[in-house]
Amino acid sequence: MFFVTYARRELRQRMRQAICIALGLALGAGLVITVAAASAGVTKAQARVLGTLYGAATTVTVTGPKWQGPSTSPKGTPEPGFGLHGPEICVVGGKCTSAAGKTLSTIDTLNEGISVSRVAAAARLPGVAAAAGGIFLSESSTSWPKNAASTARKSSIPRSGAATPGGRPPALPGGGRSGGYPLEGVDTGHPTLGPLGGASLISGRLFTAADAGAHVAVVDSRFAATHRLTIGADLPIVGPADAHGYTPAIKFTVIGIVRQAAGINPPSVYVPLKAAQDLLWIQTGPSSLHGKVTSIYLAAASAADVPAVTAEVTRLLPGTTVDSTNDLASQVAGSVKRAVELAHDLGRWLAVLVLIAAFAVASLLTMAAVTHRAAEFGTLKALGWRTRRIIAQVLGESLAVGLAGAAAGIALGYAGAGIIAAVTPSVSATVGLGDLLGGHSRLIGGSPVQTAVVPLHPSVSASLVALAVLLAVAGALLAGAFGSWRIARLRPADTLSRVA
Amino acid sequence: MYQLTGVAKRYHKGRRTIAAVQDLDLTIADGEWLAVQGRTGHGKSTLLNLLGGLDRPCDGTVELDGTSLGALPETQLTRVRARKIGFIFQTFNLIPTLSAAENVEAALIPLGTATAARRAKIAAALDAVGLADRAAHLPSELSGGQQQRVAIARALVKEPKVVLADEPTGNLDEDTRDDIIALLEQLWRERALTLVLVTHDSSIARRAQRTGVMTSGHLTIRQDSTNR
Repeated sequence: MFFVTYARRELRQRMRQAICIALGLALGAGLVITVAAASAGVTKAQARVLGTLYGAATTVTVTGPKWQGPSTSPKGTPEPGFGLHGPEICVVGGKCTSAAGKTLSTIDTLNEGISVSRVAAAARLPGVAAAAGGIFLSESSTSWPKNAASTARKSSIPRSGAATPGGRPPALPGGGRSGGYPLEGVDTGHPTLGPLGGASLISGRLFTAADAGAHVAVVDSRFAATHRLTIGADLPIVGPADAHGYTPAIKFTVIGIVRQAAGINPPSVYVPLKAAQDLLWIQTGPSSLHGKVTSIYLAAASAADVPAVTAEVTRLLPGTTVDSTNDLASQVAGSVKRAVELAHDLGRWLAVLVLIAAFAVASLLTMAAVTHRAAEFGTLKALGWRTRRIIAQVLGESLAVGLAGAAAGIALGYAGAGIIAAVTPSVSATVGLGDLLGGHSRLIGGSPVQTAVVPLHPSVSASLVALAVLLAVAGALLAGAFGSWRIARLRPADTLSRVA
Repeated sequence: MYQLTGVAKRYHKGRRTIAAVQDLDLTIADGEWLAVQGRTGHGKSTLLNLLGGLDRPCDGTVELDGTSLGALPETQLTRVRARKIGFIFQTFNLIPTLSAAENVEAALIPLGTATAARRAKIAAALDAVGLADRAAHLPSELSGGQQQRVAIARALVKEPKVVLADEPTGNLDEDTRDDIIALLEQLWRERALTLVLVTHDSSIARRAQRTGVMTSGHLTIRQDSTNR
């Protein structure tokens, strides 16, 4: 009781000094909380961006090598062209017909296939919890009006347009327009492993194992809105070309509508893997995707396993591109990247500097207080107080200041996190998909870059609060320790004679 | 009983060595009142520090009840101070943030006295110095004389064998000085204390049983002391 009374009275006597020390420690602890909370929020936002784009944070994505096939299309391939009488559709090795009033739809991939047996082999790698194959395709269509201009000069017509799904296709020579959308073949045994993993189901259902090979589709909400698709609606998707270059449409039934994060340019249509393999317009030759996938999505058992899984799968599948969220995080640009840099670099160092300054100020003020109270401590020693008892008294006072600083620091930290949430409600992340997905993005809509906007929620965890308390108390006790060192060196005879 | 044999205490100030106390042989009997006089800087306070175990002699021994204080480790010396020796200072040395009662209580903390017993002892000590009604007052709310009474209560509350007073009236006016000395004398008699009192005031020194004069570190016991 005497201990508490003495400490309380001393702190009240040195109120301004105690407040100054506590505020310094509070500022340091508060800044640590704010920076760490913002950093955690940014990390979560980044993980969410990556999760949206590539699945869970523990996902390792293997992409087949870029298509290195012959520069000329195989026999029977329908191709858009421009003849003497205007736009036309020519079948390689066959004849050309006028394209006026026609639509040429094709489906394509930019990646070579990986045998599905490698998916099973990858699934057996240590640290892999699950593996799924995927096929990334692009449906592209070019259409011409009946009165397609015949005076336009012959020029090349791109196989796929630059329009985003739902966007207005760009004009082509002869009055034609091209468009397209990305399509993903999903392993119905692991529907959430891959791009669909980051999506939110807003209507209908996702795939089940029973859907394997069925002509069912899950569509993106924006695609559904543009094409007025609802659950149960028919979605015609262009099928493989026949011997005459004719590509009949295959009807798929929409069973689910999903939403991806704003700004994301995800696959517009998801179909079962087997159905996707059947869709590819080149069904023969080395580029056939029968029994193949263009991507393998691996779920590591834990985030810690990701590097080992990445190394193992790289060894298992040479020639493929292996990306993990760790690699992807370094390629994310935009405000999320700036926030990461801000939190990790400036914020961290600012917090460290403020903490050091707070510790230094607290130590100096405590030393000054001890010097000021030298006669008091000398008297206590003369009264028979042991040095460690006096040190305990000083450390107790320091502890009280540290706890007050910690409490104020927690409040400041919460306030700081709140201010960050208010000032920066969301961050954007821009990812160069071209590099990451082996060029898939060119099929997605021509842009190799995708941007996602995700909310930033600085989160103050219990461990963060505990850390702040620990830092503030440690700072106060460090200051108290300096004072204690001074007390231990005090000779009562010296202090008393100085007073006299 | 104090037994000082060949005691010397030297301080180093730069390259200079100052002999504060030299060749001191002294016996102070239990219950004796010894007044020590001398000019400033001649070793009076150093002698008091040696007697109180606040300082250790460079040469010789300071024995209290047969125990050499200079040879004791710091923890035991602290215990001796806590149990056997009460200090009274010229500047009172009260802790400014604690009340009169709490200042007195500070002397009982090292003894681990139980709370109830502690309260009774504090009340009795303050009553003995005539400040029972000022227990809750802070030092700043008390006069100089009252502060010194609190300091005396603090020195006596643990019922020490020895009281060492370093110019206890040095900061007081004449009337208060007489009151304090009268109080000390009364308590010395009632409690059979061994009282060593450093003073510049000859009228106070004359009231002691023996008077010694410190001159350049040497103590000379005056033969004309009152010796009551």
